[in-house]
Amino acid sequence: MNRRTFLRGALGGAVATIALPTLEAMLNSHATALADGTPLPTRLGVWFWGNGVRRSHWTPDGEGLGWQPRAEMAPLQRVRDYVSPVTGLEIKTASHPHHSGMTGILTGARYHQLGTTRDTIVTTFARQSVDQVAADLFLAQGVQTPYRSLEIAIADFYGTDEGTTFQHLSHNGPSAPNPSEYSAARFFDRIFGAGPLEPQLAASRRSVLDLVNDQIRRLQNKVGANDRRRLEQHFESIRSIEQRLGNEALVCRVPGRPGDYPNIDGREQLTEKNAAMSQLMALALACDLTRAFSVMFSSAGSGVVIWPAGAPNSMHQMCHDEGGDQPVVHQSVVFIMDRLGDFLQALRDQPEGDSNVLHNSAILCTTELSEGNVHSNDEFPVLVAGRGGGRLKGGYHYRSAGRGNASHAGLTVLRAAGLPAAEFGAAEGRVVDHLGELFV
Amino acid sequence: MTRRTRTSRLVAVPLCVGLLACSEAQLESQQGAGGPVSPTAPGSADPGRPTPPGEEDGPGGTPSESPSGGSDPAAPPPPFTVPPALDDPNFAPAAARLVRLTRAQYETTLRTLFWPELAVPADLENDTPLHGFTTIGGSELTVSPRAAEQFEAAAADVARQVVTDPARRVVFTGCEPTLGDDTCSRSFFTAFLRKTFRRAVEAEDVEAFVALARQVGETLRDPWQGLGHGVSAALQSPDFLYRVEVGEPDPDRAGGRRHTGFEMASRLSYFLWNGPPDAALLDAAEQGRLVTDDGVRTEATRLLEDPRAEAALVRFFGEYVNLERVDAIQRDPALFPQMSATLAASMRSEIEALFRDVAFTRNAEFAEVLTSRRLFVNAELAALYGLPFPIDAPVDAWVPVDLPGNHPRGGLLGTSGVLAANAHRTVTSPTLRGKFIQNALLCFDVPPPPPGVTTSLGEDAPGAPPKTTREKIAQHAADPTCNGCHQFMDPLGLALEHFDALGAYRTTEYGLPIDASGELAGAQFRDLGGLARVLRAHPDVGACLVRRMYRYATGHLEEFGEEPALRELYDRLAAGGYRVRDTALQLVLSPGFRLTSEGLQ
Repeated sequence: MNRRTFLRGALGGAVATIALPTLEAMLNSHATALADGTPLPTRLGVWFWGNGVRRSHWTPDGEGLGWQPRAEMAPLQRVRDYVSPVTGLEIKTASHPHHSGMTGILTGARYHQLGTTRDTIVTTFARQSVDQVAADLFLAQGVQTPYRSLEIAIADFYGTDEGTTFQHLSHNGPSAPNPSEYSAARFFDRIFGAGPLEPQLAASRRSVLDLVNDQIRRLQNKVGANDRRRLEQHFESIRSIEQRLGNEALVCRVPGRPGDYPNIDGREQLTEKNAAMSQLMALALACDLTRAFSVMFSSAGSGVVIWPAGAPNSMHQMCHDEGGDQPVVHQSVVFIMDRLGDFLQALRDQPEGDSNVLHNSAILCTTELSEGNVHSNDEFPVLVAGRGGGRLKGGYHYRSAGRGNASHAGLTVLRAAGLPAAEFGAAEGRVVDHLGELFV
Repeated sequence: MTRRTRTSRLVAVPLCVGLLACSEAQLESQQGAGGPVSPTAPGSADPGRPTPPGEEDGPGGTPSESPSGGSDPAAPPPPFTVPPALDDPNFAPAAARLVRLTRAQYETTLRTLFWPELAVPADLENDTPLHGFTTIGGSELTVSPRAAEQFEAAAADVARQVVTDPARRVVFTGCEPTLGDDTCSRSFFTAFLRKTFRRAVEAEDVEAFVALARQVGETLRDPWQGLGHGVSAALQSPDFLYRVEVGEPDPDRAGGRRHTGFEMASRLSYFLWNGPPDAALLDAAEQGRLVTDDGVRTEATRLLEDPRAEAALVRFFGEYVNLERVDAIQRDPALFPQMSATLAASMRSEIEALFRDVAFTRNAEFAEVLTSRRLFVNAELAALYGLPFPIDAPVDAWVPVDLPGNHPRGGLLGTSGVLAANAHRTVTSPTLRGKFIQNALLCFDVPPPPPGVTTSLGEDAPGAPPKTTREKIAQHAADPTCNGCHQFMDPLGLALEHFDALGAYRTTEYGLPIDASGELAGAQFRDLGGLARVLRAHPDVGACLVRRMYRYATGHLEEFGEEPALRELYDRLAAGGYRVRDTALQLVLSPGFRLTSEGLQ
């Protein structure tokens, strides 16, 4: 079943709709599934921003379907039918300001510290992040997409030296980060840029990769167990290229290569770059290039300057330095949520069958702490976006009465994406239940 | 005295951990290179060093220009007080590991293997530094699917450049390949794989590539394409992308292991040149010379005399003092009119030039980096520093400046790069600056604030009289919860208060006079000049250099079992003032650099 074909349309600007003629032709008469009965794909995503929220402006008024947003969720009103605020949860594995929240929400577990002789600790994830858990479960279901997962980031990374936990979002295990693509042009080139490869050239490149993997296998016999594991990830990485090479059915091409978004007078083009990257991800999902994705708007403890909100200093520094009720931090969160709104809208405006890509997604939108000035891990900010292909109600405010485990959020999006996850997290962070109220 | 100072600092650590709070600086600092709260303090075995001087200065102070520093060649060498690490039962070399080339090493290696003008594809994964160093990231992290894609595309691109250049390809291969005859292919891969894998290659290695070239050559009916695909495979091989370290039994230590000669060749070249071994170094490895003291000394000395060593150690220094943070300096031009699109790069260049001058041009004691009165400026830095600049000099010229005795600047801590990278965007941060000194220069770690603590200093009431930064952060000292940690940072950083958030000199703040006095372990000072002299005399500065260089060179966080090797290095280097080239040479001779143990399980 080839869903990826030449797509017509244009990128950027207000043009957000790409026709998928072949796909439409392949749908059943109700446009709810493919003609052969295969359901439309449901994806799992993560949309992350750094440094939390201002709690007093975050938590909506009212629960269930009748909630009213406060200022920081107001930018999501345009997609509110697809957004479920989840409030009152907390990270049960908290021991460090930023690291615990990052690994707590994305893995349901503690971080893994690298080396013990450090002031500011250096850590990596101890377990797979939720997008990689999903990637494995999709594979186990027999879903073959060209990319195991796709990772993009918006705001520049400002070199912290606190390990992969700060620098990267997606992790396939300890010290196995999946670095994000920061350039819209490169992201386009990677997923849409390659033309068809002649079968003989593809076969030749596969032969090259076969030899490389033979060499990895030989080396694995000579090294310690730790390096054997590292090489195993390398081996799998090579194999994923091999599977893609020359498989014309896995090629998706669209016109409209975006440019890059250089800083103007030292200011990042946050809105424009986010819009372009969001559009590309919407197309990638429509093409079914992957079922697991992540967007890192800004990193944990981020140094991004939210200048459109009037911030003179990095988000992290503002959280620590601004006095009073932190009006600039608050406006920065409003700005970031507006960018999340842009992202969700790009997915919603991408039609798919009788619905759209956002409808057929389950997206965990979150950050690494609840309030940046006090590094709190309770009242953890979580939004579940998308409708999981109809599994989720959408637009439902769930509030935990008893400081529930934040890991429920991860298990919720896994199951909303139709994945048979039995549990999520480890030790105090482990859960076996999702948030049933969010489901239809 | 030295020992007592160190002891008090170590005792303070648990107290600090228990009480830490209220930092304006810790995580949010995006702070760089870190270090251990070491069980074996650097410099503690250092009887010959002077204790930190007390109060003795005014602005500027006396230039410290003695290139020979504390080591008088006429005087007899001081006796070593630390036994060789090999005699220490606690010595345990680190486990062997695969160290992935850093991005810069990968690029340099390609240009060295082929030709200097080779167009290395730009779409490569950036390094993820760990514990301050890209090399540690390289020995810890895996190759993600995306990175493998990038390596595949880059290898194919480079191979294409090589085999589609009719003028170059025959010169490069030394023969013309033909379909149906592997002679050329075999001779090419025999030589090429040895250089590419940086080790002796066996027939089995070679035949796998010959077979690939034959198969692809026949498929595509083009023997050069066949060869090119073999090149592409070699450039994706783990033997190329990693420095493969497994070790071999050490005949001198029953049950012990040492790095093989070929492993030593790559260890030496990637540390001292940041690039691959040359033919002479590979030959030395093959002939068994890199498992002997004399052989390692001879080759390391040769490498250190090559200009590539200067560039490589400048790069090390850049990671050591975290110049990435200088690159990222941003300021609002409305608040800092001297900010420009090029200023951050100028700041980096200045620091690199300072290091080159001290470590290479003058071969001075390392601590001279802190007190040097010779700066290197271009036009915009001269303007920022209020120094004259030759009016007829080209706009991109760099000139050395020997500061007059009363000039308030001097040394690394007076560079705008360090001052600005350790400040906020609008105001200074004595905490960040003090943390930089403790962490980067003294290898002393200050823990971060715990969760749940409000770290903002609050805002002044409207209309309240302005306060200096010193007054604002006084609450750190007043609150015992904060002071547990801030006592180590703020008093050092306050000595730099004559320099604003961009590093420009100032005599007042909000119209108020600046008090830049401070103290370190009982040694008082009134300003940058005094602080720099106290640090220059501090034994931990040189020892910290050793520790950081050891991390960088070995690609891992030093382990407890390696402490005897570090102590031995301090002992051997202290009398000579830890000159950078001496330090690098002694480091590669150390058993910590040359011995290993079974790979991590």
